[in-house]
Amino acid sequence: MSPLTLDAIRRALDGSIPALIATCAPDGTPNCAYLSQVEYVDPAHVALSWQFFNKTRQNVLANPVARLLVVDSRTIARYRLVIRYLRTETAGPLFERMKAKLAGIASHTGMTGVFRLQGSDVYRVEAIERVPGPVLPAPPEDRNLLAAVRDCARRIGAIADLESLLDTALECIAEKFAVEHALVMLRDAGGGRLYTVASRGYADSGVGSEIPLGQGVIGVAARERTPIRIGYAQAEYAYGRAIREAALRDGIVLETEIPLPGLAESSSQLAVPIEAFGRLLGVLFVEAAEDQRFGYDDEDALVAVAGQLGAAIHVLQAAEGEDAPAAAAPGASPVAGPALQVRHFAENDSVFLGGDYLIKGVAGSIFHALVTDFLATGRTEFSNKELRLDPRVKLPDIGDNLEARLILLARRLDERDAGVRIEKSGRGRFRLAVSRVLELVEVG
Amino acid sequence: MPEAALIDPELAAFLQRGVSVHVSSRGPTNIPNLVRGIGCRVSADRRQVTAFVLASQCGALLAELAMNGAISFVATLPSTHRTVQLKGTDAKAGPPLPGDEALVARERAALVEDLVGVGYPPEMPRALLGGDWAEAVAITFTPTAAFVQTPGPGAGTPLGAGAR
Repeated sequence: MSPLTLDAIRRALDGSIPALIATCAPDGTPNCAYLSQVEYVDPAHVALSWQFFNKTRQNVLANPVARLLVVDSRTIARYRLVIRYLRTETAGPLFERMKAKLAGIASHTGMTGVFRLQGSDVYRVEAIERVPGPVLPAPPEDRNLLAAVRDCARRIGAIADLESLLDTALECIAEKFAVEHALVMLRDAGGGRLYTVASRGYADSGVGSEIPLGQGVIGVAARERTPIRIGYAQAEYAYGRAIREAALRDGIVLETEIPLPGLAESSSQLAVPIEAFGRLLGVLFVEAAEDQRFGYDDEDALVAVAGQLGAAIHVLQAAEGEDAPAAAAPGASPVAGPALQVRHFAENDSVFLGGDYLIKGVAGSIFHALVTDFLATGRTEFSNKELRLDPRVKLPDIGDNLEARLILLARRLDERDAGVRIEKSGRGRFRLAVSRVLELVEVG
Repeated sequence: MPEAALIDPELAAFLQRGVSVHVSSRGPTNIPNLVRGIGCRVSADRRQVTAFVLASQCGALLAELAMNGAISFVATLPSTHRTVQLKGTDAKAGPPLPGDEALVARERAALVEDLVGVGYPPEMPRALLGGDWAEAVAITFTPTAAFVQTPGPGAGTPLGAGAR
């Protein structure tokens, strides 16, 4: 029989049954302690949470070889590992991943305020041994994650425009991973924040809502560019008032009028960075009301899907930036009803339709430019390329995803249903569809 | 040997109420070893503790105890997280006594109940604590040090130092 690998016993690291560690002092006195967290790092390493300067820690600093006992909670299969302490990380992706997970574990076990991660102790796994004993039959798998990845990849690869891409990706994830609640946030290239561009399974779409980089499950996943996975309800990484206030202190002005979509009773959360060619594009986020809904395998599968999604976003964004001939414009739509007042506040580019808030920031500046041109010349056809170069559109960076801002604006307009929309009219082109008389009011 | 037993009557009762038990040893080059136990007994004078383990699960642990006697023993009640660690230097493995099988069966039933109470499906702790009594080994030692190990900053405090 080939030797056991760490990958093959990953389920035993999920902490459902707490792991134990035995260490030995230089004088030969053994010590044994429960662990609140064993994190899979890679096929040859695990990391343990360092929370207190206890006997375990004193011992491994002096004598680095330790023994770990872990149990797979589904089958009760037990494994004994020989591990060797290598180093402690006190910042970075591994540390942040463990810190977020620990917040969930602490909350679940009534240890909030007691458990606090000081460092991630990284150990090399030197041997793995199966401990004999009764085992339960493994329950059948709910779903085949490899098949789910394959299907998502196939469907994502078949899409030719950004808006359908985001919707298809969320639809496919919902179906194949049986995840009810999911969203995609994209990175604002200049402002240290992320904005929601598509969501699924929430009462309000939350499209246009923003969070600062580095805050909450999604923000930390983005800043550290690592998946963040939490198995139990907790408050530390929730998007409350405190996070918004912290952002303000950092000088980041956030979209606060549009609430972030989220489950009130969220227990399991998984945020996966969407990257392409070394750049962070955004974050794919899924959540569920049940405990421990997402395991290591779900994380791997969604990382693969996010990789595919990232490459597709990158390619489609570039394609939308090209000019292509416009489709024939339909006859002017009939304009009826009382005038719709479009109020624009120059200070932050916020826009109100009638009395209702629409959007601000980059998307607000786009809408303002479109309405200005429409009222001045009657123009309704626009191209992404000219908009990208338009000085009135305040893109934070040349690499910013203008196309995603247009999707966001289109969705907000659809949700408002106030008589003005934007519609795609060809690759890299769109049309302002106005069915009411518009009246632009400049404020400030 | 300490003047008074390290284990007071309350702790003796705790250890025998049905708690989760683990034993660790160390080899000749100070590599530690570790096994889950299936129960425990405290002697009438509370000076000795016996942990029951299954021989097939022990790896080199029994041989290491025979070599140097160094032992660490941890007992925890899952529902409260109360955890105690005992250490000794004179651990010896031997056959269980008459009556031990019934004691361990009682402890196992109580621990299964405690684990079910915190949300584990019953078949899980039953399998975890299951095994053939014919291979049970009694590891007996004299505790020379005892520590509170309930999770938190007080973990590691010697028992009787105020924190429990």
